[in-house]
Amino acid sequence: MIELFGVTKMYPGGQVALKDINLRISKGEFVFIVGPSGAGKSTLVKLLFREELPTRGQIFFSGRNINRLRHREVPYLRRRIGIVFQDFRLLPEKTVYENISFAMEVIEASSREIRKRVPQVLDRVGLSHKVKAKPSELSGGEQQRVALARALVNNPDILIADEPTGNLDPDTSWDIMTQLDDINKRGTTVVVASHARELIDCMKKRVIQLEKGSLVRDEERGVYSNET
Amino acid sequence: MRLRTIKYFFRESFTSLVRNRWMSLASVGAVASALIILGSFLLLSVNFDYILKDVESQVEITAYLEDSLDKNGISRLNNHLTAIIGVKEVNFISKKAAIEEFKEQVGKELLEGIDNPLPNSFRIKVNDPHEVAVVAEKVEKFAGIDEVKYGKGVVEKLFKIIHWVRLIGLAIMIVFAAVSVFIISNTIRLTVFARRREINIMKYIGATDWFVRWPFLIEGIVLGLIGSSIAIGVLGIAYNYLYITVKLNLPMISLVPKEQFYDYALGFLGIGMLIGAFGSSFSIKRFLNV
Repeated sequence: MIELFGVTKMYPGGQVALKDINLRISKGEFVFIVGPSGAGKSTLVKLLFREELPTRGQIFFSGRNINRLRHREVPYLRRRIGIVFQDFRLLPEKTVYENISFAMEVIEASSREIRKRVPQVLDRVGLSHKVKAKPSELSGGEQQRVALARALVNNPDILIADEPTGNLDPDTSWDIMTQLDDINKRGTTVVVASHARELIDCMKKRVIQLEKGSLVRDEERGVYSNET
Repeated sequence: MRLRTIKYFFRESFTSLVRNRWMSLASVGAVASALIILGSFLLLSVNFDYILKDVESQVEITAYLEDSLDKNGISRLNNHLTAIIGVKEVNFISKKAAIEEFKEQVGKELLEGIDNPLPNSFRIKVNDPHEVAVVAEKVEKFAGIDEVKYGKGVVEKLFKIIHWVRLIGLAIMIVFAAVSVFIISNTIRLTVFARRREINIMKYIGATDWFVRWPFLIEGIVLGLIGSSIAIGVLGIAYNYLYITVKLNLPMISLVPKEQFYDYALGFLGIGMLIGAFGSSFSIKRFLNV
């Protein structure tokens, strides 16, 4: 599904964010990317949905080299990727329903599809009763579930979450992780950048550890850290 | 493109217009005032042009004839003058006709009982008013011509002034057009900036550049159209008033007819639309590179 070959990312000024990363994520996997802040997790995530281009190396998505995508082809790559951020990134003046239908309007789905699909995903994240609420009326966990629903509404091949529980308390974080696990069990590949140690240890998923831009550990059913 | 998408574009741009109503109002105000200034200069300059054309067309050469010239000589000379390149029209004014005209101007009583002192003359109109001096020189060389008058010096000066006035008018108009575009693109940049989060999210979700661009483009065009409509309204009323006032009080000055204003109005709508579209696409460019 996703393959990285010798990927290096340097920012202007010579700062090296990622060093020679080789990585393969298969369809249907659940992968944690861990490491202290500044280790390169966010950069890796940005490379995956092509917000940034690698300085060196190749990235393949379903066999396609995404470095070579033209500017106007990028939107179509992103439609196959669902993205969830730490700060939710919901539109404050739109209702829960509109925030999700918006994602379908953007890819020019038909009204009928939108009317059918939005209630489905809302039901899946357990927010059917908050359809008309504005994001400001929701708790952090509920907002993140709306963001999850928005990421899922267009049936992406892969869901990428950058610190999805960074702004949430432990109980709510656990709820979001369970949701992500559930999404993965239904067949979507899930990649989560996180440093929520306890959660990761409990989930027993594949863990990829970054340290100062290098990949230092890649372990099936891993824990956050091998030390201690 | 789906009908739903087009509806979405219009809904988005109108929601945004209403949501940012103060900013929209500011934009409309900017477009309107810029176009009013631009339009005033435009009207001023077309009218100036119109009056100058009128003045230009009145420039003519008067050639006074020697009294000794007889009828045959006059008609021969007439043919010669008509044959000069650049001459449009030659009119013979007899001594009698000249004194009659003069009487008309100064009043009959004044000239009662005075011997007619005026000579026979030709009034010569030229094709290009700028060639007056050249033609006058040629006319002067014919035998039987006593004196040639065409307002030497005055005409040349007038043309020089006209030339500069046109040049300066054009420069001022270009400056104001540029200022208008700048003001509008800045105001629309504010709307775009206010919605940068939304644009950012749209790009992450997989919106194409054009999908993001259209609502802003429509918004800009609507702002431009409203602004230019206001400008047209204000200028129309003002010009109508000016036209009537001038016609009543200064009948010798002829202004560009009111009807011609409609042509300018259409042009203005077009300019407003272009400024809006240009301003918004200019402002949004930076936010699309995500």
